[in-house]
Amino acid sequence: MTIKSAIATTAGKSSYWFLHTFLKGGSSLPGKITAALDPDILKTLGANYDVIVITGTNGKTLTTALTVKVLGAKYDHILTNSAGSNMEQGIITAFLTDKRKKNERPLAILEVDEANVIKVTQYITPKAFVLTNIFRDQMDRYGEIYTTYKKIIDGIKLAPEATIIANGDAPIFHSIDLPNPFVFYGFNHEEETESLAPTNTDGVLCPVCQHILHYKIRTYANLGKYYCPNCHFSRPELDYQLTSLLEQTPTSSRFIIDGQPMEIHVGGLYNIYNALAAYAVGRFLDVGPAAISNTLSEDDEQVFGRQELIQVDDKEITLILVKNPVGLDQVLDMIATDTEPFSLAFLLNANYADGIDTSWIWDGNFEQLTQMNIPQFMTGGERYKDVSFRFKVAGVTDDQLIKEPDVSKVVDQLKSFPTKHIYVLATYTAVLQLRKSLASDGYIKEGM
Amino acid sequence: MAKYHLNVAHLYGDLLNTYGDVGNLLALEYYAKQMDVELKTEVISLDQPFEKNHFDLTFFGGGQDFEQKIVSKDIQKKKNDLTDYIENDGPLLAICGGYQLLGQYYVGADGEKIPGIGAMSHYTETQDNNRFIGDITIQNEETGETYHGFENHNGMTFLGEDERPLGKVLKGKGNNGGDASEGVVYKNVFGSYFHGPILTRNGELAKRLLLIALHRKYPDVDFSQQEALVIEPTF
Repeated sequence: MTIKSAIATTAGKSSYWFLHTFLKGGSSLPGKITAALDPDILKTLGANYDVIVITGTNGKTLTTALTVKVLGAKYDHILTNSAGSNMEQGIITAFLTDKRKKNERPLAILEVDEANVIKVTQYITPKAFVLTNIFRDQMDRYGEIYTTYKKIIDGIKLAPEATIIANGDAPIFHSIDLPNPFVFYGFNHEEETESLAPTNTDGVLCPVCQHILHYKIRTYANLGKYYCPNCHFSRPELDYQLTSLLEQTPTSSRFIIDGQPMEIHVGGLYNIYNALAAYAVGRFLDVGPAAISNTLSEDDEQVFGRQELIQVDDKEITLILVKNPVGLDQVLDMIATDTEPFSLAFLLNANYADGIDTSWIWDGNFEQLTQMNIPQFMTGGERYKDVSFRFKVAGVTDDQLIKEPDVSKVVDQLKSFPTKHIYVLATYTAVLQLRKSLASDGYIKEGM
Repeated sequence: MAKYHLNVAHLYGDLLNTYGDVGNLLALEYYAKQMDVELKTEVISLDQPFEKNHFDLTFFGGGQDFEQKIVSKDIQKKKNDLTDYIENDGPLLAICGGYQLLGQYYVGADGEKIPGIGAMSHYTETQDNNRFIGDITIQNEETGETYHGFENHNGMTFLGEDERPLGKVLKGKGNNGGDASEGVVYKNVFGSYFHGPILTRNGELAKRLLLIALHRKYPDVDFSQQEALVIEPTF
């Protein structure tokens, strides 16, 4: 370590100690201080680690958490960054505060924002990249899917020997030739039938000849066993595959990967993809299938944080963060698997962190919910009018709908709902507001 | 069974569908139902002809640069039929990329000049490393109606002599950030940069499109009941 790096590291660590001890925070500021003193600090800090970088639009956080769990079967100590600290400074902080033992070569599993991949690979050569998916995401802030992928590729190009562990069902991950070794995972769980993606799907053009892709198996969005009817472009051979989908509920899924039965305590097809990604990383680092199955099946509340079950008197409220159309549609599909009667609330804000453009709510298939005898709907947040009209167009009638613009009054309203199960979908700042109100009423602890 | 039927073309609906554009079709259906009208919507995409006499209403949305470029080549094959449809007063709603492609040309974010079908006289330039992003409000100077939306575009569009704006910008940037115009009206074509989507927040415009299509398809029918439909504010 150079003197410059040593000073920077000390400064960063002491600022973390100060922030953490006195202010109960500090996930990116220490990294900022350290990087200011030594811009190349990641090179020093990351030098002794085997690094796995996990990136993509949706599912980064859960895939990272699941991968850490899976690798926990083999490694005593794993460095990881907490959710929301997936930019350069948050990553530096994660390295700064890691308490690894001397004389071991530890593993770092990092969630990295798409545009920050290059900021990591400038200094560290990862052992592998995990690519979950690329979907349309808050387009007032991010670009289109091809631009996003290009940013990731720019980062990967600095590490041509790292293995790319990619979602084989996503056509975009097969669109650019790279010297890296590839490992693909995906779904092979159904008999093949010929289909096209639904009209409102993004990324359905063949990257080779620009014809519209066809599917033999399609899971959701543009994911599946795709092929181009006009040229030779098709899904690559899968190294790891899900062969059966046994059962899906809003809180769990059972399935078989490569002959190994698995269960995870979280609903949603998209989360099965996350588990499959974690499985692929586990296998890549020589963890056995049975050991992976054991770790994945543990019911770990901290891991499944984004989708949170909160008891409010006699109500079971599932709070789910929504932020983009594919994610929203997946959440709606998951809710639809509930066999008990349920109600639904949608809290929509349009602050910068939520995405200031609310038009994506029109891409969610709310129409399917109005076929399910849901007795009570609620809309809230500053853009409650947008969601109210979305619900109305989907077929929700005025007598089924409560409008509550003030999020702090939402909890009281929920208490009088006719069903025990209530799903609350909310954008980022609405989640924070609702959690604050739940905490002040003592239903949950303070903090995110 | 609804009393009236309209055939709706959704141009390149499988490729150009960003920013909840599909909401425009959902809003059309929502208001159509209240007007005793059934819509039959068909996606017309790559290598498919646009049957100009079959469709009563057309929607043309926006997309990402890559898809838009592919569409810009394919749509040249539909150029004559689309131009005839427009000249014969066919109602059409075009948003963002769709709006640009009906005009002379647009310049992509990478500087490449991409020809439209030239059915209308506007053209679109690019701005360097900037996009117009944010809430927008305009007023239609003929009807006095106020429209609300959200804009997110790099293109700067300039209208031709024979075109008039959909509205005057009260808040936001509009066509080009300079002349306070937003969107276009030419015959029965309405073009705009509005997302939101435009018809979900501005039901008056959905009603207007439906009425134009109805009068054109059923010239001898009295639609005064449909015209009396009250549009509740949604924004």
